[in-house]
Amino acid sequence: MANLASVSKTRKFSSRNSSLGDKIFDIIIYVVLTLLMVVTLYPFINTLAVSLNAAADSMKGGIHLLPRQFSLENYKFVFNENTVYNATLISVLRSVIGTIVTVFASAMVAYTISRPEYVLRKFVTIAFIITMYINGGLIPNFLLIRDLGLLDTFAVYILPGIIGVFNLIIIRSFIEQLPDSILESARIDGAGDFRTFVNIVLPLCLPVLATVALFSTVSQWNSWFDVFLYNSSNEHLSTLQYELQKILQNSNTTSSAESGFANSGAGDSMKVSPLSIRATMTIVASVPMIIIYPFLQKYFVKGMTVGGVKG
Amino acid sequence: MAKKLLVAGMAAVMAMSVAACGSDKNDENNAPKDSSTTPTTGSASTTETKDAPKDKVTFSMFLGVSGEKDVNTNETTIGKVLEDQTGVNFKLEHLVGDLNTKIGTMIAGDKYPDVIVPDAAIEEVMKAKAFIPLDDLIEQYGPNIKRVYGPYFERMKADYGGHIYFLPYSAQVGEVTPDPNINQGAFWVQRRVLKEAGYPVIKTMDQYTKLIEDFVAKHPDEGLTGTLTLTNDWRFFATSNVPMHLDGFPNDGNVEVNLDTLDAKTYAGSDSEKRWLQTLNTLNGKGLFDKSSFVDNYDQYIAKLSSKKVVGFFDYGWQVGTAANALKDAARKDPTQDDYVYYPLAVTWDGTKDQYLDPAGWTSNRGIGITKSAKDPARIIQYWDNMLKEENQVLISWGIKGETYEVNDQGRFYRTQEQIDKIDQAFKEKYGFATYDWDFPQYNSTSTFADGNARSVGFQPEVFEMSLTEGDKAILGKYGIKTYADIFDKPEDRPWFPAWSIPKEQGSAQQLWETKKDDLAKKYYAKLVLAKPDDFEGIWATYKKEFDKLDTAGYESWYKEQLQKLVAIAKAK
Amino acid sequence: MDNNATLTTSPSTLEKKPTGLKLFFTRLLQQRMLVLMSIPFVIWLVIFKYVPIWGWTIAFQDYQPGLKFSEQQWVGFKHFKILFTDETFSDQFLRAVRNTLAMSGINLILGFVSAITLALLLNEVRKVAFKRVVQTVSYLPHFISWVVAAGIIQTTLAPDGVINELLKWIGVIDKGQEYLFLGKAEWFWGIFGASSVWKDIGWNTIVYLAAISSIDPAQYEAAEMDGAGRLRRMWYITLPGIKPVVIVLLIMNIGYLMESGFEPQYLLGNGMNVDYSENIDIFVLKYGLQQFNFPLATAAGMFKTVVSFILLFSANHIAKRMGQERLF
Repeated sequence: MANLASVSKTRKFSSRNSSLGDKIFDIIIYVVLTLLMVVTLYPFINTLAVSLNAAADSMKGGIHLLPRQFSLENYKFVFNENTVYNATLISVLRSVIGTIVTVFASAMVAYTISRPEYVLRKFVTIAFIITMYINGGLIPNFLLIRDLGLLDTFAVYILPGIIGVFNLIIIRSFIEQLPDSILESARIDGAGDFRTFVNIVLPLCLPVLATVALFSTVSQWNSWFDVFLYNSSNEHLSTLQYELQKILQNSNTTSSAESGFANSGAGDSMKVSPLSIRATMTIVASVPMIIIYPFLQKYFVKGMTVGGVKG
Repeated sequence: MAKKLLVAGMAAVMAMSVAACGSDKNDENNAPKDSSTTPTTGSASTTETKDAPKDKVTFSMFLGVSGEKDVNTNETTIGKVLEDQTGVNFKLEHLVGDLNTKIGTMIAGDKYPDVIVPDAAIEEVMKAKAFIPLDDLIEQYGPNIKRVYGPYFERMKADYGGHIYFLPYSAQVGEVTPDPNINQGAFWVQRRVLKEAGYPVIKTMDQYTKLIEDFVAKHPDEGLTGTLTLTNDWRFFATSNVPMHLDGFPNDGNVEVNLDTLDAKTYAGSDSEKRWLQTLNTLNGKGLFDKSSFVDNYDQYIAKLSSKKVVGFFDYGWQVGTAANALKDAARKDPTQDDYVYYPLAVTWDGTKDQYLDPAGWTSNRGIGITKSAKDPARIIQYWDNMLKEENQVLISWGIKGETYEVNDQGRFYRTQEQIDKIDQAFKEKYGFATYDWDFPQYNSTSTFADGNARSVGFQPEVFEMSLTEGDKAILGKYGIKTYADIFDKPEDRPWFPAWSIPKEQGSAQQLWETKKDDLAKKYYAKLVLAKPDDFEGIWATYKKEFDKLDTAGYESWYKEQLQKLVAIAKAK
Repeated sequence: MDNNATLTTSPSTLEKKPTGLKLFFTRLLQQRMLVLMSIPFVIWLVIFKYVPIWGWTIAFQDYQPGLKFSEQQWVGFKHFKILFTDETFSDQFLRAVRNTLAMSGINLILGFVSAITLALLLNEVRKVAFKRVVQTVSYLPHFISWVVAAGIIQTTLAPDGVINELLKWIGVIDKGQEYLFLGKAEWFWGIFGASSVWKDIGWNTIVYLAAISSIDPAQYEAAEMDGAGRLRRMWYITLPGIKPVVIVLLIMNIGYLMESGFEPQYLLGNGMNVDYSENIDIFVLKYGLQQFNFPLATAAGMFKTVVSFILLFSANHIAKRMGQERLF
């Protein structure tokens, strides 16, 4: 902190032409961020290394950045499962559809509760916020889904999550930040609320919509608990994460099944282990999510919202 | 623009949900997953034609254990044979996630798969009356069930209110063929330690600790760990069960049962427990105990056991299988590595009598049952009965003659090296060994067929001998025994064994006692073992004070009552 | 007197009410588009989020799944009493409440400070490529499940782990004095806080980056003209620019103080640190769900909700009093 303060002072003295203060400031930022990268990259590299290492060898520990006994056995074990492919498709579908639905619906409601003149504004806002902190519990929720006839359907992945309250509030805050003049001008043009929302608000909210879309995609992609509760007996609706969980548990028995007598063959008795499969499934499941992030980052460019309006 | 997007998005949603519904319906038609349609037709045919080939039926079956793959049993070689005999197929679904949650939703929704293996949630399933009584069905369709389970019927009825609701897995048939390997508890030590000490007979804890101490003292530069224990999460019992075994009792859970009086004494808070912890405390004081034992997770524990640096430890064989196998594999490739393979020892406080080996027992609170949602229980019972025919038990365990086993001139079953090599996990899954190795009604693994062959492949002496390396033979020879189990004392007859399997109601005082006791032990064991030797007594007093708040007397008397009931049934037989 | 008062006031309210209602409905009619855009979702909300609240009745029953509602046995506040007054439980439960609040409090502060700091720093990075790389890399640990992450943390903190090696290398400790980090109960909250920051800093930053992107660049230009340095611009433009989002998130998260997560504590917890690691969720798992005791779990959940509401409304009220952005 002291460093930062002195930097600002330096800057004041040397005013505009000081590149020195700027440079020190830059150096500090680069050093801090590089350190952060080292710390946050490590777990991923480590997991990747374990996933590419022979299971029997990984068990001995001590793998850090590189595999010690390179092997693709873990990936074979995962991708040999035919169910994985259909499950991936379902995961993609629920991520795409779930995200489109929730982004649109949340933004729409967010728009209404950002309108100061809306008479039901407070009622709607509070009705939503309350639900963030209450939960009827597992069994009532299950019975509800059953009574709605949503067991064993794809819709159960979408309907219960149409609106995420967290997303709703974030979008609302964002809309409230928009300059009033923009919405006013739309009003003067005689646009109704829905048209204002679609034509003006949505495009202006791209950064926050991208954020919410990312949150929603990631949560849809990673979720398996709803599969477990509602669709576990229908393998056609299984998702990637759920299948990976199964494979993980399968690896558990595979690795311990051989104990005792049967390992009299040559070769290693342990081809996979929970440790190495867990690492492998982490990589398999997270790579798509890691790839989409840079695509969304272009929506976070400074000043794009307001600039967009002006331009 | 945005509007178009919206419309397109909505359309996509609609299309998807329609498509999803559509495909859903198709699935039901193609591969009936619940019992609503096909079994009805099945039952109609059963009544009409008894002996003609039966209609094919698929039943849904949920297994509250995770592990094997979700398959249709008729996709496996063994399952296909059984389907040809009975026309019945099971569509399996294994648990993913939390068992209580899954069973809880089934019960709340009052809709079940046709067959359930509830594993640890069996009390819930029973309480919800989800299983139908099987007595009449067995009477009508189950000659083989009667043959195999008959001796246990009284016990089964006594356990659950006068009826048979499910079939457990531990029905002993024929002579007991003991497990030649040690999959249960033992004190393990590296073979090189015994070799260096000249293969001494180790019977007492003092001898064992001295053995380890001497070895570490002689190899100061190898960075050896004298001993460690496993404490992670639910596996904590690997540390807390030890006093029971050192007292010369088998793994009855939380109690030591006196054979004559049937008094069930808990050993938590006992002198034996104190002595065990003090032993560890002393080892720790001498730098012979790995302090990380109390923070390591299971993976770290296994890593240490496979590192060749740990001289000795206590655990159950099935829990350290991965590490043990890795060491064995290494020794198989390079005989010099045989030094690092662990050898099991029967250690007790006084060295007189040990009871590490499980007696022929009866695990009464695990099994397979038919739910009230099942439309045609008769077909299921017939399938099970058919499975229990001796030739089908051979099929399930050994496979098909000429494919997965051979028979020699004396009628003994064995496997050729080629067959052994062929049967890896993938083969087991495809063939059905993996599917049928548990979960279905069956002979207990220590059973013996009428022709004298062992029910379990690994228990057959011929198979065991083939699996031995030169190193194995050498050390067994030094101790003058044929199997690892031979140095352990014969298990005494305990009709209730294992006592931990006596059903306890969920949320009952007994369960609460166990959870509380575990909480206390987890907290104080670390303090006691890692304390300075002088502080040990003080901490023990605090632990004892806390422990005495629990209603241990109530727990013990509840157990005694249960044991008396079971022994009475056993005697009446 | 009292009667009189009511008599005199009631006519006036009667008089006013129709106009109030009428006004309300007229405006509602005018705003029918807004109504149409929001009320269907309120109906959705009622079905999916409010209907299941009947489940709270479970807390007052000796609930048995499978029995009809009318067949359940009602036991009043029995399960609440177990949590708060039963001598074998209450100590443990109250300690779990303390640990929950402490850990989520630490998490709240560290989480906010670290994520906002990172957002501010990233905003100052001029090389776009570097910025994106940092963003993506810092987001990676979010995708490592806690099971895997806990394994890495445990290995790192082991006596032969990186941290101890580092301490030995810089001479803080000697060989043989290695710390058993996860065995030090009082250090657990710190380890938990640091682990959470490490895992979620990049993820938590995303929302602030989105907020920063909505700040009008003209403001920066004007400030630069006035000779404001980068720190000053950060302080006077960027921070105020994201303040509304920060405050709204802060209020929401204060409401979540009763939720401190489950997995990290469960996975990193052990007998040595249990006094500091066991939180409400772990307690509920042990004595509720694992014992098939849904009522106890529900009672604990209700207690959490009540505390959450108190925290939420207080925080919102304070924000209002301070003239800040509010949640509602």
